[in-house]
Amino acid sequence: MISLLSSVISHIPGWDVFFQAGIALLIPLAVSRIYKALYSLVGSGRAVESPGSSAKKRKGQSDAPVSPPPQARQGFSGNYAADLQSIKSAIGRNSDLHFKEFTITRLQKQAVLIYVDGMQNDRILNLQIMQFLMLEATADSFSPSGSAGQQLPFSQLSEASDLADFNKSVLYGYAGLLIEGLPQGLLIQPPEGDSRSLDEPVSEALLRGPRLGFSESLNENTSILRRQGRSDQLEMVTHRAGNRIQKDLVIAYMKDIVNPELLREVESRISKLDIDFLAESGYIEQLIEDNYLSPFQQVQNTERPDRVISALLEGRIAILLDGTPFALIVPVTFSMLLQSPEDYYERWLPGSLLRMLRFAASFLALMAPALYISFISFHPGLIPTELALSIIETRQGVPFPSIIEVLILEVSIEILREAGIRLPKPVGQAMGIVGGLIIGDAAVNAGIVSPFLVIVVAVTAISSFSIPMYSAGITLRILRFVGMGFAALLGMFGTILFFLMICSHLTKLKSFGVPYLTPVSPFRARDWKDLFFRAPLALMKRRPAMMKTQDSKRKS
Amino acid sequence: MCRRLMPLILCLFLLTVTQSGCWSSKEIEDLALYTGLALDTGKLTKAEQELEEQGVTYSKRDKVTATVQIVPVKTPGMEKKGGPQPLHYLNISGTGDSVFEIFRQYSIRNERPIVGHHLKIIVVSTELLKRQSMEQLMDFVLRDNDIRPSTMVFISQSRAEETLVSKRTDEIPSFHLRDMIQGQKRTSKVMKPVILSELDALMHAKRSYALQNLVTADGETEFTGAAVVKGDTGHWIGTLSQEDTECLSWLTNKSKAGAIKAYDQDNEPMTYEMKDMKSKIKARIDGDDISFDVSIKTEGRLIETWNSSSDADSTEYTEKVEHIFGAKLEKMTEKMMEKLQKEYKADVAGFGDALSIQYPRVWKKVQDHWDDTFSRSKINIKYDLKINDFGSFTE
Repeated sequence: MISLLSSVISHIPGWDVFFQAGIALLIPLAVSRIYKALYSLVGSGRAVESPGSSAKKRKGQSDAPVSPPPQARQGFSGNYAADLQSIKSAIGRNSDLHFKEFTITRLQKQAVLIYVDGMQNDRILNLQIMQFLMLEATADSFSPSGSAGQQLPFSQLSEASDLADFNKSVLYGYAGLLIEGLPQGLLIQPPEGDSRSLDEPVSEALLRGPRLGFSESLNENTSILRRQGRSDQLEMVTHRAGNRIQKDLVIAYMKDIVNPELLREVESRISKLDIDFLAESGYIEQLIEDNYLSPFQQVQNTERPDRVISALLEGRIAILLDGTPFALIVPVTFSMLLQSPEDYYERWLPGSLLRMLRFAASFLALMAPALYISFISFHPGLIPTELALSIIETRQGVPFPSIIEVLILEVSIEILREAGIRLPKPVGQAMGIVGGLIIGDAAVNAGIVSPFLVIVVAVTAISSFSIPMYSAGITLRILRFVGMGFAALLGMFGTILFFLMICSHLTKLKSFGVPYLTPVSPFRARDWKDLFFRAPLALMKRRPAMMKTQDSKRKS
Repeated sequence: MCRRLMPLILCLFLLTVTQSGCWSSKEIEDLALYTGLALDTGKLTKAEQELEEQGVTYSKRDKVTATVQIVPVKTPGMEKKGGPQPLHYLNISGTGDSVFEIFRQYSIRNERPIVGHHLKIIVVSTELLKRQSMEQLMDFVLRDNDIRPSTMVFISQSRAEETLVSKRTDEIPSFHLRDMIQGQKRTSKVMKPVILSELDALMHAKRSYALQNLVTADGETEFTGAAVVKGDTGHWIGTLSQEDTECLSWLTNKSKAGAIKAYDQDNEPMTYEMKDMKSKIKARIDGDDISFDVSIKTEGRLIETWNSSSDADSTEYTEKVEHIFGAKLEKMTEKMMEKLQKEYKADVAGFGDALSIQYPRVWKKVQDHWDDTFSRSKINIKYDLKINDFGSFTE
């Protein structure tokens, strides 16, 4: 009995083992604690997490603009002079605002046309509208009051019963019409501001595929989407967001495909947007994403209408914001970030090859410098002997440890890249040559870095350019530096640890309820045919299972 | 509580990260790789002699001289172009009675620690192997976990350190030796190299084995024959000639290449180029008697003959030539078997393997004194040599 006890005791490890076990338990707990604390500290841009804040409730969902209620709604009195006076007192100081008062000759009534410089086609405004109003308009056109729109020959005509709303619309560019005896303002011509011509998207150029990108005008963008093809199921719903300056945004989806729960989730997140002004769709992306601490984007952005429409057909939802060519697509998974529309336009073999190439490239872009550091500083035995010899020979003049060496070159490459974006195109190309050739070669000759590293960094930089989504490339660029830190501390062990941490983070991450790593985890065998390789189109009979679409069949 | 704890935890975390540094980090250029190791009988180097005269030594018996080949040699700063090419390697030796201690002793002379990940070849001199057993010499090498099990082991007839020196300045002798084994595609005189892990198994099973023999002459090293190491003692007992080695490779099915030269009726040389070779050993048990039937089948072409008067493509001529080559092959093989059975009494040709597979129970009984049993077994060899090609020639 005693011998048994003593043999048991002899197998109990020393205190240091318990200490290590304790640390191994405490560190993950602490990390998750810190994470939660950080998350609750900042919260989210959405109003959900901060019930205490006096967030304004959602803005109107329909087309009718609803003004925030700092002052009580002020309707039109019906008194022409008083109404004009109150409009003038509210927005009359704007020097680009024109009031054109005239008399409707057939009715002998006073009217005023209010518009902003540059927002209307002056020819049409002066010649046609004025001519009609002054000379041709009869009493029938305006009576019975209330249904004025039906008699007036304007295609886009709405009525504003609210003064503040009328003012906003006029300043936004509508031509406003105020007529004596009519207790409402008419908004006749929508703004026709100058917009640039449609161009090929700069950030997502393709060799094969439509050379058409979104522009800054929301109307144009929705019309581009409509023009992709005939369908009565493509539904676009306008929402309005922004507390101080309001902007239109459109949620687009296929009515018979989209998962209604997903749609409800997107609509609720959009309706909870609480911010002064949405300058770009990136604002929306950051305010509706699931996890702001994650380095990975949970919303896809694109300039390509073809990309948007095929996403809609997969059961995803697009969000278009006025004033930016970048549309958002939700939800997104990791594999989607490495897909390019070209994969589908080309035949399936080249498409699959390119896609696998992209996976390999993103691995290189993430890990290559970390692997270099761990090989050079920790595991010389893992390098083939002849290569090890040449590395030793070239590195003998280098005074820095490999982490410093890599940092020097990586940081200068990143600076070059950043500078190349800012510079005008011809200068930017020259910068690339200067960076690639001269800095690389000179750094080697000066003995700051080894020639082998120049190859590693160059391959890394090129690899990160091959990722079709620019923002996904940035994510990998950030993480690359983290990986280098791990490698410098713990060698190969650290590099693998880093990779596992990324994997575990990605497994937990979700984008609008869809796990980020689907179909790898959770495993969905059906979706694997469009993951690492792209199956022939004839085989893709069903929509991705991860989207839980209403109608999963692609073929009739 | 949480608010105050959190910065503290963060600070502690930062402290551990910043203060601990890079664990076990060692830049590759601060290491010296050794690619070759030569083991000789203890003989003090010149430097060591002078040091001992000054009384600089430690307690040891001078049994082994270990020489390691270190690459690459450190070049100060920028290399200047032109001028005489400096040597790319450095051989340093130490004497003592523990290989590991000698290795550590290098560190009081050298600026960079040596690491064994890239060790390619180990050369042991026959002289040393007469005094020490292979197990003793290989013990450290097998225990050390830097050294790869794929390291090749050779035997040197002269001093082993001489094989790590080359006349040519542009190459590293240990790489040269490693690459020389590619010659086995052309000739069976180059044996299939024995790597450390195989050697470990052979030593553990107390089996006799043959290792490639190296001979150095005038700064050039050549693969010549094989050295036979007796299993039960682990000592070197003799060498096989080049032709014996060839026969051994064929008999053990390790090579299909090679040439057989014979003399025809006019005493002119002619050569047979082997294209295929298959040998099969079949054990036969007859009471306590163990005998072996060996069949050697080979096909090839007549690649060279100095006799121009021959009627080359007639059937009779082919048969005649086949007979001559067959007789030559038989003579060579018998000479080799004679040497193995009578002179060395060591089974290095895999007869024991055949027996252990075909008759495991009999093998269990005889395995402890196998070399002895082998030397008394009868071995019948059948030869089947076929010439099916005369190369391209014009009448």
